Amino acid sequence: MIKIENLKKSFGDNEVLKHVSAIVSPQEVVVVIGPSGSGKSTFLRCINQLETITAGHIFIEGLDTTDKKVNINKVRTEVGMVFQYFNLFPHKTVIENIMLAPLKVRKVSKEQAAQKGIDLLKKVGLAEKANAYPDSLSGGQKQRVAIARALAMEPKIMLFDEPTSALDPEMVGEVLEVMKQLAREGMTMVVVTHEMGFAKEVGDRVIFMDEGYIIEENIPSEIFNRPQQERTKAFLSKVL
Amino acid sequence: MSFRWDIIVEYAPFLLKGTLLTIGLSVSSILIGTFLGLLIGLGKIMQNKALAFPFYCYVTVFRGTPLLVQIFLIHFGIVPLFTGETNAVAAGVIALSLNAAAYIAEIFRAGIQSIDKGQMEGSRSLGLTHTQTMIHVVLPQAFKRMIPPLGNEFIVLLKDSSLLCVIAAPELMYWGKAMGSQYFKVWEPYLACAFIYLFLTLILSFVLNRLERRLKTG
Repeated sequence: MIKIENLKKSFGDNEVLKHVSAIVSPQEVVVVIGPSGSGKSTFLRCINQLETITAGHIFIEGLDTTDKKVNINKVRTEVGMVFQYFNLFPHKTVIENIMLAPLKVRKVSKEQAAQKGIDLLKKVGLAEKANAYPDSLSGGQKQRVAIARALAMEPKIMLFDEPTSALDPEMVGEVLEVMKQLAREGMTMVVVTHEMGFAKEVGDRVIFMDEGYIIEENIPSEIFNRPQQERTKAFLSKVL
Repeated sequence: MSFRWDIIVEYAPFLLKGTLLTIGLSVSSILIGTFLGLLIGLGKIMQNKALAFPFYCYVTVFRGTPLLVQIFLIHFGIVPLFTGETNAVAAGVIALSLNAAAYIAEIFRAGIQSIDKGQMEGSRSLGLTHTQTMIHVVLPQAFKRMIPPLGNEFIVLLKDSSLLCVIAAPELMYWGKAMGSQYFKVWEPYLACAFIYLFLTLILSFVLNRLERRLKTG
């Protein structure tokens, strides 16, 4: 579903991703872990090219999205993204946040977009907040709205960039619950997170990154119980 | 020496005419200046530095030279160059608009750049184009923040329109000066002008305050 070949990304002289290759299969939940500064967020942001990549190729459903001729906006409609700081639009209500992209990009009717929006809000348990503004919501609620907003485009892949890192501890659960439900429904997901519990429980595969490389990848039980690399062991000993 | 109300009354029709022209000059310059300012502001923040450079120069030149000099250049130089004759009102609108556009461009640029870049990313990640994101996400939020500095700029522009008396555009200050030289008086004409300008700027700030409050709740 996603094939990443020799991805490199530099910010000026600082090479953040050095030679990263990975594959994500349909319906797979891949969890990316690693210390801060390891390049895992950059890796995720390269998949939908919020970062312009320095070298390498990213294929999404066989299409080389790094090809200059490919319309990246079109690609992004198939790849939803959820951010650490939600990035909801504060001047729009919850339902307007969700409806914006379907209306402007998919050009669906207002009624259709609104109906879809309400359905998604029900799914994340926030139907009663449809007409509220983001500022009036808690962090956990904001993130659930952000997930609903991404789902409104009916993406084939969902990217999560530390979706619970900015939340108060008591709100982490409600967001993870929505993500677990998505995983159960068969959504293809790439999740950058520090929630090792989530990685163990929901992840089909865990990728450990450090200093711009993928150091190790395996199924969660192997990574967490029998890490092969020294750096993986060192990292896990600190976070578990 | 007594304050001569009678000459103010005598000049009232002219002051009124002048005030109307001042309002006309200011409103048209505000509208044109805001429109140009938006374009120049967007031009200045273009990724392509070569394309942004002319806009950068524009702001530098119009912000870096006195408005009075610009008025003379446009009135005696540029307008005659195109039409063959001078026209104080046209030159006035052009000078005020072009000058205000430079400042307004900076207000727009600052307003747009003050919006968190996560807003752009959030919108682009949904598949909206850069232009769609600007229209639906960034500009609506930036406008709210731009109203107070824009209000300042509009008030400055209204007051600066008085400079146009030096090229004999028959606005408020022009008639004040005429009145002063006819009667060799200082207080009557210039205090009358000052009060009218104050009245106009008060109305303008009232309108802007209302607008700001409406946008805040809406």
